[in-house]
Amino acid sequence: MKRAPLARDGAPLGPVWLRLGWGALLVGVGLLWLLPYLWMVVTSLKTLPEIVRAPTAPLPSGLSFEAYAAALEAMPFAHYLWNTTLMALLIAALQIAVALPAAYCLAKLQFRFRTAAFLLVVATLAVPAQVRFVPVFALLAEVGLVNTMSALVLPFGVSAFGTFLLRQALLAVPDALIEAARLDGASEIAIVYRLLPPLLLPALTAFFLFSFTYHWNDYFWPLVMTTDDQVRTLPLGIALLREQGTGVRWHIVMAGNVLLSLPALAVFALAQRHLLRAVTTKAR
Amino acid sequence: MALVPRRRTDPLWMLAPTALLLAVFFFYPLLHAVHTSLHRWDLLTEPRFVGTANYRSLWESGDLLHWTTTTVLFSLVVVTGATGLGLGLALLLNRPGRLVGFVRSAVFSAYVVSWVSVALLWLWVLDADAGALNGLLGFFGFEAVPWLGSPRLALLAVAGVTLWKIAGYGMVLFLAGLQDVPPALLEAAALDGAGRLARFWHITWPLLRPTTLFVVTTSLIASFQVFDVVRVMTQGGPVHATTVFVYAIYEQVFVNLRVGRASAAIVVFFVLLAALTALQLWAWTRRDPSARAPRGSHP
Amino acid sequence: MRSDGLALRAPRRAFLGAAATLGAAAALGSAASLGAAGCHPRRAPRGRREASLWFTYGGRNRQVLEELVGRFNAEQDRYWIHPIYQGDYYEGLAKLRTALAAQVAPALSHVVGEVIPYLAEAEVLEPLAGYPGASELDVLPALGQAETWQDGAGRPLVCLPFNRSTPIAYLNGALFDEAKLQPPTTWEELVSHARDLTVRSARGRVTRHGFGCPIDWWFWVALVGQAGGELMEGTRVTLGGDAGAEALALWQRMVRQDRSMKPPPGRDYNAWEQTNQDFLAGRTAMIWTSTAFLRYLEDNAPFPVRAAPLPAHRRAAVPTGGTHWIIPRSAPPAAKDAAWAFLKFMHEPAQVIAWATRTGYLPVTARAVEQLEGSGFYRRHPNDRVALDQLASVRPWPWAPELFRIQREIVQPSLENAVLGGQPAADVLTRARARATRELG
Repeated sequence: MKRAPLARDGAPLGPVWLRLGWGALLVGVGLLWLLPYLWMVVTSLKTLPEIVRAPTAPLPSGLSFEAYAAALEAMPFAHYLWNTTLMALLIAALQIAVALPAAYCLAKLQFRFRTAAFLLVVATLAVPAQVRFVPVFALLAEVGLVNTMSALVLPFGVSAFGTFLLRQALLAVPDALIEAARLDGASEIAIVYRLLPPLLLPALTAFFLFSFTYHWNDYFWPLVMTTDDQVRTLPLGIALLREQGTGVRWHIVMAGNVLLSLPALAVFALAQRHLLRAVTTKAR
Repeated sequence: MALVPRRRTDPLWMLAPTALLLAVFFFYPLLHAVHTSLHRWDLLTEPRFVGTANYRSLWESGDLLHWTTTTVLFSLVVVTGATGLGLGLALLLNRPGRLVGFVRSAVFSAYVVSWVSVALLWLWVLDADAGALNGLLGFFGFEAVPWLGSPRLALLAVAGVTLWKIAGYGMVLFLAGLQDVPPALLEAAALDGAGRLARFWHITWPLLRPTTLFVVTTSLIASFQVFDVVRVMTQGGPVHATTVFVYAIYEQVFVNLRVGRASAAIVVFFVLLAALTALQLWAWTRRDPSARAPRGSHP
Repeated sequence: MRSDGLALRAPRRAFLGAAATLGAAAALGSAASLGAAGCHPRRAPRGRREASLWFTYGGRNRQVLEELVGRFNAEQDRYWIHPIYQGDYYEGLAKLRTALAAQVAPALSHVVGEVIPYLAEAEVLEPLAGYPGASELDVLPALGQAETWQDGAGRPLVCLPFNRSTPIAYLNGALFDEAKLQPPTTWEELVSHARDLTVRSARGRVTRHGFGCPIDWWFWVALVGQAGGELMEGTRVTLGGDAGAEALALWQRMVRQDRSMKPPPGRDYNAWEQTNQDFLAGRTAMIWTSTAFLRYLEDNAPFPVRAAPLPAHRRAAVPTGGTHWIIPRSAPPAAKDAAWAFLKFMHEPAQVIAWATRTGYLPVTARAVEQLEGSGFYRRHPNDRVALDQLASVRPWPWAPELFRIQREIVQPSLENAVLGGQPAADVLTRARARATRELG
């Protein structure tokens, strides 16, 4: 006898009409999240006359890459890409470098103000970038660091989320390991930066990916901290493509948008598992 | 669990970088914001002390009320949508199959790309004259809708775009929560004759409560911090209909050059956020008791 | 494991990953090859004094500007100008002001006139009168500092005109011929023409509006001037008094009662963009917008475009608009020299003519106008003549540092609210006046 299809929770799926309805919903949901991307790509392959004449034509009349050429010509794309990637890398690296000893200390060492210190770190979750940016801007302006990579990286040096995550992971590391390393003569620095990272690889990877993606995509902070295109990041550059006044050239904007979305989607495709771990671990 | 530090000063240097960065980039800015909120400053000339004038101006001009209601309205739509949609998607997509897996990835991928990507994409789709959505409506004989041009619709449209982007996050969390439900419980209930709805209501839903709480509080905080999508799509308009708090602060600083007034708004905003964050932390610790700070015993 | 079911199957994942990586590689590859060709090289040739020019144009105007900068860089070997795109007027202005505050301002930029008094009083602008050749520049007084502001000539020179404009009316030639109408010369004619040219569907919905105009401070100021009012009396903010209310009431009547005027949705440049698109698509028969769009509209309209001066009421009056060149004081002297050399270059007749004829902005120097008239340009392009002739009815702006605040924070939102919301014009302006006096005292 043919086994009735089951859902994840082990129960039978029900009568045909219900399954058809489910199927229709599935297709609908899939379309709702996929069609916009497809439309973005389709638009990017059109030419200006096509956009003006028939902007909603479902397919381009031919495969034209002139929009991509124009988008790349309108800005120093490689420069922005480099800025963005470098910035995201530096931030993630700095966050890990700062969070490791802090998390180790908060998880493993007994000292008087441990609880207070932990609460203080967690409290910073209540002070997001949008609250800090004005004073930080004023501060950086005074020391002449506005519009530099430092302005983009340093303010994010501490990640409360990262510290929290690493602390959680460290709680699961047996004390005996650390004691043994100490007996072997390892210094505390060596323990923090040599012994622990391999043990924390899953958490570190998840956090690195999450932080890298988040800051790569960041628009607000680079917007308020940069004034010209020296350290301008890609999201800002692409957003500038919607030049107003003489007709927005949508095919070029969408071409730029495709270029902007690709790296994030690439990371997602290759490292989905880790990203998801970071997202769901946050709930633990 | 706790080891004795090798040297008494070990915790100090381990926490020093964190402490330094926090002091400079978190706590000092808060104090500075409070200080600046009592002055009138345009960044170009010297600040001038004005006491509580900025706060009074925010209140009397109706701006504070307007920004708060806009943000709260926006939040309401986004939070209920994200939770409902997240749960719905999780329930729909909680089954094996390659197609289902692909759809799950598609939904979550919107969460991974930047806000600018999503905003530009929907700016194009929702364009009143050349956008695909109105094109589709026109194809079926409906009139074109000014999605971003009507003060009433714009906020809804922006909320909708936000939902499109973050639904995947809720979905993933609910999926994880659903997988935590012991199958044995559900099988037993099915054997006892409970229908789908009854099984969901009596077994699954109560077990999902911590997750729901978490999704609600997280999307609440996220919705209060929205900026990119407003900046790219509507610049706070039309007629300030989409001027949420963060955008209002940005506008005060960078367009109106009223840094004192903006700082006052920041202080108010911070108070609101702190309350919401406390709420989230409470939900966070309820989700997993071991995450609590080591203070007392766990329930 | 928790995330098992959520991961894609390996083959599909690999496919997506490969596609994404290929795409990224293609992008980088084309970027590398086009980078050298398309964008401006970041490094100036050796030995030149450099200056950054922050500009806020997109589209065609941007191309023209970048060409002129390229011409400057190629025709001499002492200076080099880096043009950097900063978004639209408002975005660019925001960045400039914060850069000024953070001491990272460029040596050259251009800003809207409303902001010049504020920047000048904050002492962040370099005085230009002392630079070599400053007094020989034959700037048209109506467009230069002298007559753009009340008593502009009596203050130290801090700006030079760049893309200067006045609002003009654009008419759909085909529709006007069909209706046998002449361009309106008074407010009454404007109202009646708009009504005549409005077309409604059977159900009463308007399918073509007779008139369209961005609900913007600039056009309101034009109306106030035409109604005989002044924005300020000395240091007192009057917002035109009764004339201000009359101006606003005109719009309200046309939008809400006659329903012959389409208020474009959106803010700032969204609204201006929409006005142009409505005109080009034939959805609006007559629009008011900047002379800056002349070339663009002429080139893209499927019907003959006719430009006309704005109608008069108690008098003919138009404000000027567009931007002026400024040199921030905080820039290094070498950069300021480069900036000044470029400004002189831009004021030579060849460049003024190139800019004006290719965009639709006004030519800003006397010699350029002479040359254009001599070469018969205006005979061939009567539309371009309109804005130039309208200079006769230009009204200066008050030299008020708070003017841009009054505009952005108080008047602009009030106008939008009143036209879309419908409160009595006089009340709206009384409240605005009170708020301006109270907040900016």
